[in-house]
Amino acid sequence: MKIILVDDETKFINMLARRLSLRGLDADVAYSGEQALEKAAQTRYDIAVLDMKMPGMSGLALKNKLLKKLPDIKFIFVTGHGGVDKNGNSDLSEEIFLAKPLNIDTLIDTIQQQIHPHK
Amino acid sequence: MIRTPQMLQKQEWLAFLFHRHNAHLASFHTFSNYPRIWIISIIILAVTSLSPLVMATFINNRLIHKSVDSELVLQTDRVTSNAKRSVRFFLEERLNALRFVVNELPYYSLIDNEHLTKILINLKLGFGGFTDLSIIDSDGSQVAYAGPFNLEGKNYKTQSWFKQSMEKDNFISEVFTGYRDVPHIIIAVRSQNAYGRYYLLRATLDTQRLMDTVLSYKSNFHTDIFLINHTGILQTPSTNYGKIFTPTQIDIPAFSDTTQVITPENNKDKSYVVGYSYIATEAVTTPFILMVHKKKSEVMGTWLNLGKTFNWIIGFCCLVMMVIITLVSTYMVNQLFLADQSKAETMLKMEQSQQLACIGQLSAGIAHEINNPLALINETTGYLKDLYHYKDTPRDDKEIIELLNDILEAVSRCGTITSQLLGFVRQFDVQISSVNVEQLITGILSFHKKETEYKGIHVTTAIAPDVPDIKTDRGKLQQILLNLINNAFQAIEVNGCLDITVSHLPPNTISIEIKDTGCGISEENLQRIHEPFFSTKKERKGTGLGLSITYGLVKKLQGSIRVESSEGVGTIFTVTLPVKLQKEDEA
Repeated sequence: MKIILVDDETKFINMLARRLSLRGLDADVAYSGEQALEKAAQTRYDIAVLDMKMPGMSGLALKNKLLKKLPDIKFIFVTGHGGVDKNGNSDLSEEIFLAKPLNIDTLIDTIQQQIHPHK
Repeated sequence: MIRTPQMLQKQEWLAFLFHRHNAHLASFHTFSNYPRIWIISIIILAVTSLSPLVMATFINNRLIHKSVDSELVLQTDRVTSNAKRSVRFFLEERLNALRFVVNELPYYSLIDNEHLTKILINLKLGFGGFTDLSIIDSDGSQVAYAGPFNLEGKNYKTQSWFKQSMEKDNFISEVFTGYRDVPHIIIAVRSQNAYGRYYLLRATLDTQRLMDTVLSYKSNFHTDIFLINHTGILQTPSTNYGKIFTPTQIDIPAFSDTTQVITPENNKDKSYVVGYSYIATEAVTTPFILMVHKKKSEVMGTWLNLGKTFNWIIGFCCLVMMVIITLVSTYMVNQLFLADQSKAETMLKMEQSQQLACIGQLSAGIAHEINNPLALINETTGYLKDLYHYKDTPRDDKEIIELLNDILEAVSRCGTITSQLLGFVRQFDVQISSVNVEQLITGILSFHKKETEYKGIHVTTAIAPDVPDIKTDRGKLQQILLNLINNAFQAIEVNGCLDITVSHLPPNTISIEIKDTGCGISEENLQRIHEPFFSTKKERKGTGLGLSITYGLVKKLQGSIRVESSEGVGTIFTVTLPVKLQKEDEA
């Protein structure tokens, strides 16, 4: 299972990657949407953890572009905005959101559920 | 203080006079000084409506007085000229009788006392009013006398009347007492005897007849009619000035051939008019001036009474109008005030919600900015902790793990605050479920079990049996009650009371009253408690968001919140909620 973490907060995402690898999860990091797309061209990822707000490309825009390259990829969104207004936005209604600061155990549980939804 | 619509609708009479000054509301009032508007409106209404009435009354009174004055002048003139004619006739008649006697009878028969007595008797019979007759020669000695007094042989040479009468053919004296000590008038005619020497036929007249003549014109108490001489001494008794021979202070009126009526300058408020006439017969002038004093009150009686009645009616009307004007002004200004008050209250509410929205936007930004570093701290600390956990040789340093846990806990507390801040503005989906208020309250109170025992707080919950389960957002209601109950616990000192009362207000609201016997909230703070970041709690103990979040949450649950508090006594928070929450998009 390959994970890609995308956030412009470099230190945060590096740290998160380290913690995941400590728990036996293989995670790559990308600091922008473009970088993530480059990496996706080379590696097949199973799941992407995207920050909603990034300079240049938003998490949502990145999701659509990544889907073209990797149709089977699953997404988890991370947001600093406590909660997200889902009202009237059908694109978001199916998505999974986690609020910053993240609880590592919640994140891992969510990843496991995404990969193996019927467990 | 958040006013509920029920409180606004309670229209207090004279609210504008007795309203408590509220600096927050005052800034939204259109007019600042209601008592002043009230007084001005009363004055303007009173002046515009009453002044024509007052002017009409004034003019009417003037007209009445004027017509009364001219009426009085007319009456006085008539009385004076009539009385004058009578007096003149009285004197003239007697003078002519004497003239007739001296012209008809020779001197020798006149100086015969017996004959003279006969003449006197005839004169008395014919005209009346004669007391005696005497013949006086040019030396002043009385040569014949007929009458009741024994005056024979008297000499009048030194008397002024004698001197005056010897100069003219006819003479009429003023009233005087003379030798006989009885008021009388002398009428004398001069003639010549056979030797060409002057002699006088003198008659004295009884003044009673003159008085009767004069007084016969005195119509009533208000009229004073009397004779004075040219020096102002009374010749007949007067009602105003007293007995005969009393000197009066009357200004001697200017001579006039005809009857005159004047209103003396010096008489107070011109309450009487004076008619006068100098009395003169055809043959000779007399020392008499006929005076008529007529008081206005006589003629005016009816008119003045009418005027008085009229004035009373006008006065009463004015009073009634003033009362009506006052009541109407009060009502209008009160309505104006109430309208302005409710406008100001709406404005204040709008300002508060504006503030809340502003703060909300601000806090969303702040929360987001804080969340990123928090996330970093979280991950870094988490990683440090992980290092201890996952490295091949775990170092069992409990103290460091504990410290790291503390940091993580602090981060998660910060995270709670930022998510509260965000939740305060964000619209979440309303999760409607059936909530049992009693269970909810019991649950919340269980958090405080320790504190209750420790502080000895007496907690009572009274839930009315008819309170239904309500359909609302459980989480929000929980947060509202948690906030309010937490606040109450913080306010209560040792051995205080906390009373929670839940009642059903049919058909579709419930009210939850949380009453504590805590420190209370001061008036000025009461105005601000719903403002975000307003806190009286000491540093670190509160964020100042509790009540403003509560306020926002209650609004979201379509309810209202009311606070009553008095410092040192306690505070009552009353939350009113609908039994069934309407979904936003359905509402």
